[in-house]
Amino acid sequence: MLREAFPCLHQQVNGKPLVYFDNAATAMRPQVVIDAVNDYYCHHNANIHRGVHCLSGRATDLYEQARGSLARLINAPSPDNLIFVRGCTEGVNLVAQTFVKERLQPGDEILISHLEHHSNIVPWQIVCQQTGAKLKIIPMNDQGELVLDNLDQLMTERTKFMSVVHVSNALGTINPVKELVQKAHAKNIPVLIDGAQATPHLKVDVQDIGCDFYTVSGHKMYGPTGSGVLYGKAAHLDAMPPYHGGGEMISKVTFEESIYNKVPAKFEAGTPNIAGGIGLGTAAEFIMEVGIEQIGAREADLRQYTEQALNGIEGLRIFGTAKHKSPVFSFNIDGIHPHDIGTIIDHYGVAIRTGHHCTMPIFQFFDVPGSCRASLAFYNTEQEVDILVESLNQAKAMFS
Amino acid sequence: MSDLNKLYKQQVLAHNKNPKNYGEPDHWSHHAEGLNAICGDQVHVYLTIVDDTIQTAHFAGDSCAISMASASMMTELISNKTIFEALHLFASFKQLMSAEGLPNAEQVLGPVACLVSVKKFPSRIKSALLCWYAMNAAINGQATATTE
Ligand SMILES: Cc1ncc(COP(=O)(O)O)c(C=O)c1O
Repeated sequence: MLREAFPCLHQQVNGKPLVYFDNAATAMRPQVVIDAVNDYYCHHNANIHRGVHCLSGRATDLYEQARGSLARLINAPSPDNLIFVRGCTEGVNLVAQTFVKERLQPGDEILISHLEHHSNIVPWQIVCQQTGAKLKIIPMNDQGELVLDNLDQLMTERTKFMSVVHVSNALGTINPVKELVQKAHAKNIPVLIDGAQATPHLKVDVQDIGCDFYTVSGHKMYGPTGSGVLYGKAAHLDAMPPYHGGGEMISKVTFEESIYNKVPAKFEAGTPNIAGGIGLGTAAEFIMEVGIEQIGAREADLRQYTEQALNGIEGLRIFGTAKHKSPVFSFNIDGIHPHDIGTIIDHYGVAIRTGHHCTMPIFQFFDVPGSCRASLAFYNTEQEVDILVESLNQAKAMFS
Repeated sequence: MSDLNKLYKQQVLAHNKNPKNYGEPDHWSHHAEGLNAICGDQVHVYLTIVDDTIQTAHFAGDSCAISMASASMMTELISNKTIFEALHLFASFKQLMSAEGLPNAEQVLGPVACLVSVKKFPSRIKSALLCWYAMNAAINGQATATTE
């Protein structure tokens, strides 16, 4: 069974079997990913692109193969469309500083949505401060779905960029990103999609979506922490200036000037997270081997089961009831602070996250300081959901 | 009793359910907001200080049970104490919550000493401390405090 592939799931915490429902914070890694990282350090340890020696060649091949695996996972036209980064956060900052900033005049607008993670808000606030541009927000409704009725008014001739999350980490909402991209492109607005929570759960095809940029987070998709890729259309990447200066991103340096390397090396200054990149490529292969359709189908079952189970708890309110959503459940229970619930159910082995989940505006919308969030993955089970429910009932009993 | 039951002991649950000195009073002389944004604890502390004595102490806000109970007990403890005494109690409570611990805790802190059980849950110590830091900020004329 697939669950066996994830070694960290098989342990006891506080004397109880671990129920890991914090996958939206970071997923578990399968043994093959751990082995790939280990293998690099044990057998192929060398810097990439630099040495004529055998190990350097092997390390370079593994790293570039990983880029190829990720390109296939998200159907990028070529591996050269992908830049290795530390995660989605770095991907968004890179685009903000090297693509968007130079297009902005005072009074110009950047469009984001109410569902964004802080990592898709703050980088835009920084460029706004640098340039005098303004942030505009696509609103959401009580179900946690984006309201697209007034999109035409929100996309003005001053809108120079749009950046929207594919799947909300706090509510699970799956946004209609293809439709959003089409509408933006009709007004010549380039678009970034934050795919942190998408690649672990659903089929992502960047060419079908049509976006200009797409960010992938390694640690959310069963890969190593500190790994990720940024997808960009070739014409954009060729035209953009480098993000960081240093080794590897140049083809020639004199004290008078430097000639930059070609894409993607232009954006990959310094020695990267080689082991992380290789592990991430293995995670992409793992997802393709299991089959993203299988993952999606299993998670749809789990989502339905969990929704029913949670709705059976009196006094429990779920935030985010979008028609299209991933297996993420944000909820509160009357009279018990999320923090207390988190502590109590941890006692029963259940790991969830409590707080604002780096999406403070969402909880400002619901007018609560935060929530409990159970985020599932395909390797979770119905029995684990039953343990969650039982532990929540214990918390209620304690506070009754 | 399990550690969990010690954490959520009757005193804590009772203070959480029916907190003492809860709500913003009509008059106060000193105020500060304690805010732990990441976990979502918020405690406003309101003091009426006359001639170096805390005549009344109130709190308000939306917090976890540990933070609520700690604030409720703190306001009871510091009422009618001098500023000097209150700051001394603050130092003692911090010591209780530290690795060092506080000998004679019950003698020094009275009922507040029961919060020692929070130490078994390191991620929750900041909840218990928040109201105390807010009180300290209020006395020192600072608007905000955090323990994150
Ligand atoms: C929706 C979303 N966007 C962005 C991020 C940031 O991703 P990373 O940790 O790869 O920087 C996260 C993860 O916390 C997320 O859930």
